[in-house]
Amino acid sequence: MKRSQFAAVTAAAALALAATACSSDGGGTDGPIKVGAINGVTGLFQTPEVPQAVKAVFDEVNAAGGINGRKIEFISKDDAMNPQRSTEAAKELIDSEEVVALVGSSSAVDCGLNRATYGKAGIVSIPAVGVDPACFTSPNIAPVNPGPFKLLTAMLYYASETLKHDKVCMFYTVLPGSGGGIDTAIKEWTDITGKQLALKDTSVGEGDPTPYLVKAKAAGCQAILYNAQVGPWFAQAKTQGMQDVDIIMGANSYTDANAEVIPEGMNAYSGTEWQPYTDETLPGNERWAKVVGGNKIQKTAFSQGAVMSADVFVEVLKTIKGDITRESVTKAFKEMQPIEYPMVGTPWVFGPGDTHNPIEGSRFVKVENRKWTVLPEGFIVPGKK
Amino acid sequence: MLNSVIAGLTSGGVYALLGLCVVLTYRLVAVVNFAMAAVGSMGAFVMVSLTDTGLNAWLALLVGAVAGAALAALLGAVLVRWFGEHDERTKAAVTVGVYVALMAIGLRLFGNTTSGARRFPAPFDAPAFTVGSVVVPQSVLVSLAFAVLITVGVGLLLGRTRVGLRLQALSERPSTAQVVGIPAPRLAVAVWAAIGAISTLVIVLVAPRLGGDFSTLGKLINTALAVAMLGAFRSLPLTLAGGVILGLLEGLSASLEAIQQYRGIVPFLVILVLLWWRSRGEVWDTAHSR
Repeated sequence: MKRSQFAAVTAAAALALAATACSSDGGGTDGPIKVGAINGVTGLFQTPEVPQAVKAVFDEVNAAGGINGRKIEFISKDDAMNPQRSTEAAKELIDSEEVVALVGSSSAVDCGLNRATYGKAGIVSIPAVGVDPACFTSPNIAPVNPGPFKLLTAMLYYASETLKHDKVCMFYTVLPGSGGGIDTAIKEWTDITGKQLALKDTSVGEGDPTPYLVKAKAAGCQAILYNAQVGPWFAQAKTQGMQDVDIIMGANSYTDANAEVIPEGMNAYSGTEWQPYTDETLPGNERWAKVVGGNKIQKTAFSQGAVMSADVFVEVLKTIKGDITRESVTKAFKEMQPIEYPMVGTPWVFGPGDTHNPIEGSRFVKVENRKWTVLPEGFIVPGKK
Repeated sequence: MLNSVIAGLTSGGVYALLGLCVVLTYRLVAVVNFAMAAVGSMGAFVMVSLTDTGLNAWLALLVGAVAGAALAALLGAVLVRWFGEHDERTKAAVTVGVYVALMAIGLRLFGNTTSGARRFPAPFDAPAFTVGSVVVPQSVLVSLAFAVLITVGVGLLLGRTRVGLRLQALSERPSTAQVVGIPAPRLAVAVWAAIGAISTLVIVLVAPRLGGDFSTLGKLINTALAVAMLGAFRSLPLTLAGGVILGLLEGLSASLEAIQQYRGIVPFLVILVLLWWRSRGEVWDTAHSR
């Protein structure tokens, strides 16, 4: 395994060298286009597959001759979810490496810490996964996922409009600073549907979930939106006889491991941010499966975001006439036309605004026999579908 | 509200079990063991890794308990061999170091909260009876029974048997015990192994209620220490009661809107209040002994 990886890296490097040698006598090159990313690879938020998948897309572009004859050089920094390392990584990428943009970041702390740095440097960031709220409220950051708040609106809409439940409840664990975003997301749903939550509890944490389940039973909840620990919640919900309640989870719970721990007979749904990755035949997933499968990268939802962020970046890069610099890249993103990308519910666009949350809606999956099954409704975009 | 309180009470047994493991270690080998839940989780994850491959659950449990025992024995041997003459604080600090290391290793080996959730066998999940609108599963009775068994069993062992007497001597004056002919190091390591095995059993028993991934289970030491504090690190029956009280407090705080946001810090509040209460007693004692 190690040896073959090493061989692959060496081969890729040799290929890149050979390619550079060829193109340099074509003239007009100005060295590689440097692109950076900040990824959690070690630490509590681990997404090692994201930089691998972004690199795979750029390797593909480079193998086909690059952008106007220039290769893309991808530099990923691991911040280990450590704030200090994250700020240092941003400075290093911008000042020392002089990257033209950040593409495919996946860090739980990057957006909030580095948004000001990106603003000052006039650089854009297109994260593969926007994790913290700041990813969706900054002038220079536009992720390719709906993020927790747009997803919440979609989950509420799904519960009340698609599953047609009157009593929708919410049991959430809330990170400091995201309470406001949650209230906005609920209000958006209320504005579209005219409905109110039957019960809202944002104090779920670790510990025995039974008191919450008993509360939900007493309130007569027909659907429960839930985002905390999966195993104990469903095990105890089964004990409490809540087989008739639809429990809808956020995208963070959409993992194979979680499908395994949900007991038979429970109605467990999950919203997803991209086309559910567990079905490779869905629109847009063929391309992703080819990129990650061909490079033996772990198939996760995050790696979908990685491929998408790299793809939209390359597409915008191709529209740039003249030199590709940080300024011209930022300008191109601020003036770009929306891109239809089949892996998500709405077109992706950066645009001139002060906040960016271009992707809306979610596609839903349900646990059946300890596996996720994709539901037939397609993307649920609140107010539209 | 009454239902929430009853629901909280049903978790009393599992909380008591966690606390009992800590008090047990302290009574027998005089160490505040911060790595208790992490060691138990290692054993428990050895077990689920085996059941995932299709091994019989009871056999896997046995192997897991042996693994937990071996790990605890190793920790015990290190403490006896290199820190035997050090005071309690140093020993506790060593276990904190081991805890941090085990948590990092566990995260690497078994994944995080979302990718590392495992299915623990829950043979006692069937409902036993219903109080109000709370269904009480058999597992609640099993946990409580196990907690009572530990409380009574260890009480008898310490108070009524020769081994118990030796263990008490060992935990209070290790070097003196060795001088009078008690094979201290060997006995201590054996006790550590037994504690490791019990911790593994306890973690396996609490996992369906409190969490199925390594980091959540390892972090249960917070709850365990709060419960142990209620028993003043000494009294097994009080620790048992402490677990029930903690469950009750959690149920209560989940039902009161004004304080439900702070439910997670209930164990810490308990620790804080009791530390203050006990230090108050110490100041009193010091003032009067002069």
